[in-house]
Amino acid sequence: MDGGKFFGAFRASSGITDAVVLNHVPVGCNWGAAIFKTTSNQFDMRHACTVMHEREIVFGGEDALREALIRADELYDTPLLLVIAGDAPSIIGDDVEAVVNSVTLDAEVMWMEAAGFKGSMMDGYEEALLRLAGLMKESETIQGSVNLIGFSPDDFKVDADVKEIKQLLLDAGVEVNTVISKCSLEEFRRAPAAELNVVLGQGTLLAEQMKKELGLPYLKMDYPYGLDGTAHFVNAISEELGTGHEPEFDIEPFKRVYLYLHELYGTPVSVIGDFHAEAMANFLDGELGFNVEVSARNEDDYFAFEEEVRNSNTTILFGSSFEQNIAETLNIPLIRFCYPVFDNVCVYDDAPYAGFRGAVCLTEAIINTVMSYGGMNK
Amino acid sequence: MRKFCVYGKGGIGKSTIVSNIAAALSENGKTIIVMGCDPKSDMTRNLIGKRIPTVLDLFRSKGADKMEPEDVVFKGFNGVYCIEAGGPEPGVGCAGRGVITAVDMLDRLGVFNDIEPDTVIYDVLGDVVCGGFAMPLRQGLADDVYIVTTCDPMAIYAANNICKGIKRFANRSAVTLGGIIYNGRSVVDEPSIVEGLADRLGTKVLGRVPMSLLVPRAELRRKTVIEYAPDSEIADTFRDLATAICENKDRVMPDPLSDDELDEINEEIEVLLKEREEN
Repeated sequence: MDGGKFFGAFRASSGITDAVVLNHVPVGCNWGAAIFKTTSNQFDMRHACTVMHEREIVFGGEDALREALIRADELYDTPLLLVIAGDAPSIIGDDVEAVVNSVTLDAEVMWMEAAGFKGSMMDGYEEALLRLAGLMKESETIQGSVNLIGFSPDDFKVDADVKEIKQLLLDAGVEVNTVISKCSLEEFRRAPAAELNVVLGQGTLLAEQMKKELGLPYLKMDYPYGLDGTAHFVNAISEELGTGHEPEFDIEPFKRVYLYLHELYGTPVSVIGDFHAEAMANFLDGELGFNVEVSARNEDDYFAFEEEVRNSNTTILFGSSFEQNIAETLNIPLIRFCYPVFDNVCVYDDAPYAGFRGAVCLTEAIINTVMSYGGMNK
Repeated sequence: MRKFCVYGKGGIGKSTIVSNIAAALSENGKTIIVMGCDPKSDMTRNLIGKRIPTVLDLFRSKGADKMEPEDVVFKGFNGVYCIEAGGPEPGVGCAGRGVITAVDMLDRLGVFNDIEPDTVIYDVLGDVVCGGFAMPLRQGLADDVYIVTTCDPMAIYAANNICKGIKRFANRSAVTLGGIIYNGRSVVDEPSIVEGLADRLGTKVLGRVPMSLLVPRAELRRKTVIEYAPDSEIADTFRDLATAICENKDRVMPDPLSDDELDEINEEIEVLLKEREEN
């Protein structure tokens, strides 16, 4: 179940936190993209839309886009307007570049074509970052600093996870220069100042390009779930930068729920998601001792995943809000951990799923979900 | 009610033929609707004497909700009802979607039910270039299709493509091929070429429209030849063609030609061209 290129471009672009995204799409695409972003931050309405209707499809959407650009520039106090042309204008061939060049606005304008049918959500994310790379400025290197690449502003737990990862790295003597894509335009511009790019699941093309053009090396890492996963994450980065820090973690909270964890040992579970899924499966299998029956990525055959889960002994499902139906059908609990999560809010930025504290929060969420769903012996 | 479409390569003479057929049929006191499905929107000019506002013009200026049938349906020569679908400016938007939108709007306005025509004729842009221009085939708006062609290879190629379109929608609608209309105004004017094409497609040539100076003369005056020169031979040709189409019951599902078969026809045309050069 993949949102397609448009969603990927939207997620990457809306991660520039003081930019405004102008979706050149019909209303449905705009609503879909927006709703996943606003469930956990209802004030984050930094996006506009041309709201293409039949009139724009037949006569072309260029006039609507021009008007929307002018109005968005008037309405928002923003340094950057990011125009994303989705499926409909790509099919009818709107000349977006000509429209963008025809207006003089206060905000800088950048546009990208991201027709959903032309690639996956990850393709859209990767290509959008390459396009956004044009905003970067030459910057003096800040020793011992990294960019984190792969985030989106609508990732579940993103605020808490970024905060936790930043603190973990800071404890290891590593400063986070820019979080891509969850940063201000200014932070994005100065991304070349980092000593190392750390790619978490997506954004590899940007890292490749920065390596080629700026000589900035990169490291591809799994998302830091669990104690081992986090220790490995911090170790690898500090080793690469030569800070030589040995992270320490506290297992005291886990001791307090040892009996529950013992009871859950060997629990058959299934996991589906974006690039977070593999790291989550590793945590569940390697640290909690769960038996991961089915592990899949969003871009895999969803119906095959559904069938495999149905034919397995799965008693807990890990995924997104999209898995609610399967969980309900199988009468098993669903633990939401990755995009899109639109039926839970996530507003507390001190309860991460990533990092050492994240391992505690995640374990707590799992035990609580199982207990409240009908007891440990279900 | 008799409903048919006229298709053919751009500039082949569809609008001339449709407007003259409509004018000819109206002489018998029949109620006729002609609908131009071409962004060029000039098919009805010879029936009305001027360009008329198109369905999509009104959609753009008034909006779908405020449009009335009288905004888009105009009476022309002999009471022929004229409608133009219209389209976007060249180079923008989607003309194919425009045809779909225009037909939907006419349906919503109940135009065909209110007028209760004896005959509806659709004049559709050049080729079945996209789904929009296949709309009359897809939704069963017409009973059958008539394809206008000359002896030119590209016109024959387009005619064959239209047949592919008819065949594609065969399972979803009852639209069939009614026949070929031969327009003899190309460099090579050899009816046997088009008869050969019709034969291979499994259909027949329903009428032949010869070159006539009266046609451009009438069109310069924004008239059909039925109106401009009613007693002329060419006017009778259109009358005969109109009768042949209306009475035609010989409808087929065409068997489109392969590239090799099209090449064989092209070779025949080349021989004729050489003969013409030598003479």
